[in-house]
Amino acid sequence: MRRLEKISEKIEKNFEKGKPLHPFYSLFDAADTFLLTPKDITKTGSHIRDAVDMKRAMMTVIVALLPTLLFGLWNIGYQHNYSIDGSTELHILSNFWYGFLVWLPIVITVYVSGLSVEIIFAQIRKHQVAEGFFVTGMLIPLIVPPGIPLWIVSLATIFAVIFGKEVFGGNGYNFLNPALLARAFIFFAYPSVISGNKVWIADKADAFSGATPLDICKNAADAGLNANELLQQLPSIFDSFIGIIPGSIGETSKLAILLGGIILVITGVASWRIMVSTMAGGYLTALLFNLFGSGAYAAVPAHQQILMGGLLFAAVFMATDPVSSTHTRQGEIIFGLLIGILTILVRQWNQGYVEGLVLGLFLMNVLAPLIDWCVIQLNINKRKRRAIKARV
Amino acid sequence: MPKVFKIRKGLNIKIKGESAKEILPFNASRFALKPDDFRWIVPKLLVNEGEAVKVGTPLFCDKENENLLFVSPASGTVKQIVRGEKRKIEYVEIESDNRFESVTIDIPPITNAQNITLTLQKYGLWNTIRELPFNRIARPNRSPKAIFISGFDTAPLAPDVSYLIENQIDTIQKGIDIITHLSKGKIYLSLYKKANNDELKTLSGIEFVYFTGKHPAGDVSVQIHKIYPINKGEIVWYIDLQSLIMIGKLFGNQKLDFSKKIAICGTGLEKRGYISIPQGAELSTFLSQNAKKGNYRIISGNILTGKNISQSPFAGYYHHQITVIPEGGQRRLFGWLAPGFTLWSYSRTYLAWLFPWKKFNPNSSLNGGIRPVIFNTYYDNVFPFDIFPAQLLKACIAEDIDLMENLGIYEVTEEDFALCEVICPSKIAWQEIILKGLTMLKD
Repeated sequence: MRRLEKISEKIEKNFEKGKPLHPFYSLFDAADTFLLTPKDITKTGSHIRDAVDMKRAMMTVIVALLPTLLFGLWNIGYQHNYSIDGSTELHILSNFWYGFLVWLPIVITVYVSGLSVEIIFAQIRKHQVAEGFFVTGMLIPLIVPPGIPLWIVSLATIFAVIFGKEVFGGNGYNFLNPALLARAFIFFAYPSVISGNKVWIADKADAFSGATPLDICKNAADAGLNANELLQQLPSIFDSFIGIIPGSIGETSKLAILLGGIILVITGVASWRIMVSTMAGGYLTALLFNLFGSGAYAAVPAHQQILMGGLLFAAVFMATDPVSSTHTRQGEIIFGLLIGILTILVRQWNQGYVEGLVLGLFLMNVLAPLIDWCVIQLNINKRKRRAIKARV
Repeated sequence: MPKVFKIRKGLNIKIKGESAKEILPFNASRFALKPDDFRWIVPKLLVNEGEAVKVGTPLFCDKENENLLFVSPASGTVKQIVRGEKRKIEYVEIESDNRFESVTIDIPPITNAQNITLTLQKYGLWNTIRELPFNRIARPNRSPKAIFISGFDTAPLAPDVSYLIENQIDTIQKGIDIITHLSKGKIYLSLYKKANNDELKTLSGIEFVYFTGKHPAGDVSVQIHKIYPINKGEIVWYIDLQSLIMIGKLFGNQKLDFSKKIAICGTGLEKRGYISIPQGAELSTFLSQNAKKGNYRIISGNILTGKNISQSPFAGYYHHQITVIPEGGQRRLFGWLAPGFTLWSYSRTYLAWLFPWKKFNPNSSLNGGIRPVIFNTYYDNVFPFDIFPAQLLKACIAEDIDLMENLGIYEVTEEDFALCEVICPSKIAWQEIILKGLTMLKD
């Protein structure tokens, strides 16, 4: 270890102020602290500090994403084979390998495009390279369809990092979730690659439908099917829960997502309040549609509705983004509830946006500061009332 | 049964290095008074180098209130007056003759607050009474809405307060009788419910309040927030028990004695216990005989809010604890990936959380790079005030005075944010930022 430290010190000298390589200091720092924890000691305030830092916290999110990712990769291969010859064999390794080869170019594209922007901005601003993008870069490939063109992914990532984050001051100052912005960008700029029946299975056989549960519901509404006919077309609850259905790479397996959620809640990195309230908001709204709605889609049982699409994935990994969600405990619950409610409302009422989640989450990211403002104002008013009472 | 407040939001950091309940032999030969120990005091020197002083001889006063004297804790000669940048007085050092002769003491009749205030200022004990908001020395001739005394300490490795004041209860009672005259409000003494409070419970003329739960339950500002929160424009005073002993001795026995018990703790020491010395004693000779080999940091106070006194190791004026911990700075390979069985973290991101009974070895590593605030609600878990810590921090960074006031900055001191600072994954200097905010508001 000492030897590594010495080597690092030696290299660092070339990046010091006044040296020709100084403009690239943030790059050196990123690599150096990637390898070894920083050597800084406390100067002011408390003399000891927690061992956790932003790198570790972000790494924990990535670990929590692993079950989803691993299952998602296998499912890409499985869905591909299933669409071609109806094979229901598990073929764990070969399906996984197939999926891995589909995923790898996407993730490389995302990291290369996003990190280039991050490093350029860190250099200009003389910041250290923030760790937030490691999570964003992991999330983006999980929320796009497997067959997405790479140039679109790259464009969306660059757009999301610049306009979702850097223009506002970088990590910690953004009000939109960059991964969500990337998906929304693709959805509005290139809708054909991220909606419809054809895109959710990699290299699918043309004859095979390949519709996600959400698409099935929309198609049923278009075709005027009744509730029973629709329910027969939908995948079983078991399949939806385990995730053997077409969809974005990471969203299909609810089981894997729940595993990740448990990791996040135990480690204390993400808020269980947001997770629970988002699902509760979705479930209750769907239940209201069950009771009072009309049409086949509204009759789909509430628990089945919240297993569709990316609602659970978003509740666990996207809505809990500590920066773009609300910054108060009480606000978290309202924030989550409204995401769930809006998602189901958009899905049910505006069939032009099959995945209402993107809109619901997007809107709530924008409204989160307002929720916080209200919560904080309540606290301020309480303090003022107490002061008035004390004076009387 | 009196009211019991339970502090749920907080954190007891389990670290090694407790002190044993025994008095270690120690005779200090040098003492120092540091103006920096007294917030926002502008010192005006009253002695020169080489002058002879007694216990109680004024060394400097406050430029704004020349009655407020800061006096020598020992008799001997002024060895040196150390100045820093811009001739700022760092400390006034006294070489002790070990006789502790005091100036002649002349106590006026205790009839009114005015007499008591002047006497306390004259003999250098007024500065033991401090004022909130701002955590400064109490401004004389103001009327606090109450006076608070904390009867326990929950900080890491904190001394057992009942041991600090053992067999001194009568003197404390005398001190309480004196300060009662200073406020029209009540005097509150907070006790830890599960602690041995037999001696303290015999006190009279005060209101007992009980606390239980995690650190910072023992911090007086937390207790004030729970008992009787401060509104804008109000002031409260607080004092610690050992200072009450000094006041009690002055008025009861006509004796000026600045000695107090201090816990010596931390993993940097071979032998840990308590010492009984006058305030401001020089510790390096004592600690160096006792220290383990290596690079250590000497902290006056606890590891959360104490001052680093490695450069000039004189015990801080208000502290009753000296902590010695190893300096950090050792780099770890792949910190973001390693399992971390021996690391301490409030989060459960390292596997050490599977062994909650384990005490860990503290050091002064920052353990990460400085980042903007990301985990905004994470701090709520360790912050027992009805205040939004991250939002108040941001208001201080933005220097938004109205927002700071609205968010309740008058109810807190920077030390209340120590736990937020410790657990902060963004490694933000919370206490420094909050203090800057408070300094903007001072009148």
